[in-house]
Amino acid sequence: MALTDTTPAPLPRRSLSERLGNELRFVPVAVGLVALIAFFATQSDVFLTSRNLNNLLVQSTVTGIIALGLVFVLLTGEIDLSVAATSGIAAVLMAKLVVDVGLPIPLAIAAGVACGGLIGAASARWITLIGVPSFVVTLGVGLVLNGIQLLLLPSTGRYNLLNSGVEKLASTNVTGAPAWALVLGAIALFALLRLSTHRSRIAAGLPASATTGIVLPVAIVGALLVGMLLFLQTLRGLPMPVILFLGLLGAMSYIASETRFGTYLYAIGNNAEAARRAGIKVDRIKIAAFAIAGALAAFGGILSASRILGVSVSSGGGVGGGALLLEAIAAAVIGGVSLFGGRGMVVGALFGALIIATVSNGLNLMGVANEARLIVTGLLLVIAVSIDRAIEKLAVPGG
Amino acid sequence: MTQPILSLRGISKHFGGVRALTDVSLDLVPGQVTALVGDNGAGKSTLVKVMSGVHRPDTGQYLFEGREMHVTGPAAVAQMGVQTVYQDLALCDNLDAVQNLFLGREMTGPWWTGFRVSRAAAERRAREVLKRLRLESISLSRNVGAMSGGQRQNIAIARSILWEPKVVLLDEPTAALSHSAAAQVGDLVRELAAHGLAVLVISHDIHHFVLDNTDRIEVLRLGRNAASFASGTVTGEQVVNAMVGGNESINRAG
Repeated sequence: MALTDTTPAPLPRRSLSERLGNELRFVPVAVGLVALIAFFATQSDVFLTSRNLNNLLVQSTVTGIIALGLVFVLLTGEIDLSVAATSGIAAVLMAKLVVDVGLPIPLAIAAGVACGGLIGAASARWITLIGVPSFVVTLGVGLVLNGIQLLLLPSTGRYNLLNSGVEKLASTNVTGAPAWALVLGAIALFALLRLSTHRSRIAAGLPASATTGIVLPVAIVGALLVGMLLFLQTLRGLPMPVILFLGLLGAMSYIASETRFGTYLYAIGNNAEAARRAGIKVDRIKIAAFAIAGALAAFGGILSASRILGVSVSSGGGVGGGALLLEAIAAAVIGGVSLFGGRGMVVGALFGALIIATVSNGLNLMGVANEARLIVTGLLLVIAVSIDRAIEKLAVPGG
Repeated sequence: MTQPILSLRGISKHFGGVRALTDVSLDLVPGQVTALVGDNGAGKSTLVKVMSGVHRPDTGQYLFEGREMHVTGPAAVAQMGVQTVYQDLALCDNLDAVQNLFLGREMTGPWWTGFRVSRAAAERRAREVLKRLRLESISLSRNVGAMSGGQRQNIAIARSILWEPKVVLLDEPTAALSHSAAAQVGDLVRELAAHGLAVLVISHDIHHFVLDNTDRIEVLRLGRNAASFASGTVTGEQVVNAMVGGNESINRAG
């Protein structure tokens, strides 16, 4: 006990940089998004209209949903380069089942999503069994899927989904009382979750703040959702793709941050050996993460087919995944998810997808050519990752 | 003297043609800290791995609470109440202290919550354990990657005792630490013994850590028992002499 005086004093509060490296990780991206929106609002009169923002939100959903699943894989320190191809083949399979087989649409969609989940699980089984790097396996799987996609398509190279009923998935808008019920229900669920956390802390005799624990987060989430609803009500109400994306985002955030499975994703991404010694079935968790990524990619692809009223050779971004794959990875990474595993939040997929859609939409309105759009998106990716890295260095000296 | 809780009798172990351990015996007594010292290659780590169930001895007896055990693996040994903290600590730097303490053994809510992790219950339990070990200064909500080496070592040790083991084996807990951080770990090691655990510590730091914090010193040399001392009755030189064999050199290890 002679040296107890060298014990550092308890730290009542963690520094801002440390919090930015953790639970506030999304803040710089959110600030960047607001800055982009402000910039484009000054450049184009059309940008802030409800019609344009409606388009922008819907544009971001397909990339966003694929990125959402990808986050789970990235958190474990792996990568899935076949998500775009998975989205394509699932969409084609769904279309084939509807058009050629005449399967009811919900069943066809379920089959497509299940197919995506199985593809992810099978890739991961191979990766964990043989120990081959995931980027190699999923690169190969992606090409295989591209080939199968071509085989599944008819000689015309296209399935038309106009008036098939599938288009309703993307074109439905929820408005009026049902829209309010959805939004208020979501806010109530979120508030209930925060309240239950708060109450269990009080019950356990732990320090708890109602302001930062409940009031502030619920107010922010509530204001954003109600604001979005009021804005979109002036046009057609809530587009179904946006509802689906936000619903999935909420569910996936809960899984990643509140459940045992979510904790294991982070643990494996940081130190797989430690996770294994703690009794975690590392392989099984990875397989589940890839299955989730595959299923969400499949759903994203089906949503995309519903939006563009058909599937073709270019569904799933074309050969190799093309821009769709790159944008999905970029969305996750811009949103603060580390490619090296263990760091990032699910909500990053939302911010990343919104930033990419905003840049694309805003530059379009400014009349800037496509080349410039690619250059700007690429630069944003580098800047976002650099800022993220700088914050991490501040949070962990020498880290 | 209290009965030993874990005893090894005549343990031998070879890897191919190399005899790592020859006829080694060791007793761990509740409430005592035993140091296991020896030169590089003396067999310290092999002996710890025999105790933790990673290696099975070729010959010899493994007695736990006076009964001979046929150890089948690390999980069975942990189940018996023998916990091992390895040198690499096996912490996840991106998780906080509470998450690391409970990793793989989270308390969870019912199925309809998706097995939601009961953070508050875990945090309360973590507070109790850290308080009992006089480690209140460790922040529960910081990522352990942002903590000092001594704090990380202490969290790894605290995790090992979270489920009330009877024996704790520590492999080089002070190897990468400054003197003040090593002293904190020393405080914790004695605190564990004060709570009635049998503690075994491998250490090279004879002059400071071992003499200050342990009750007994067991010396291994070339895979055999070389000497056994009560810590209060020897000098560092005597221990080092026993480690290297004879009086021909006095090697100031540590």
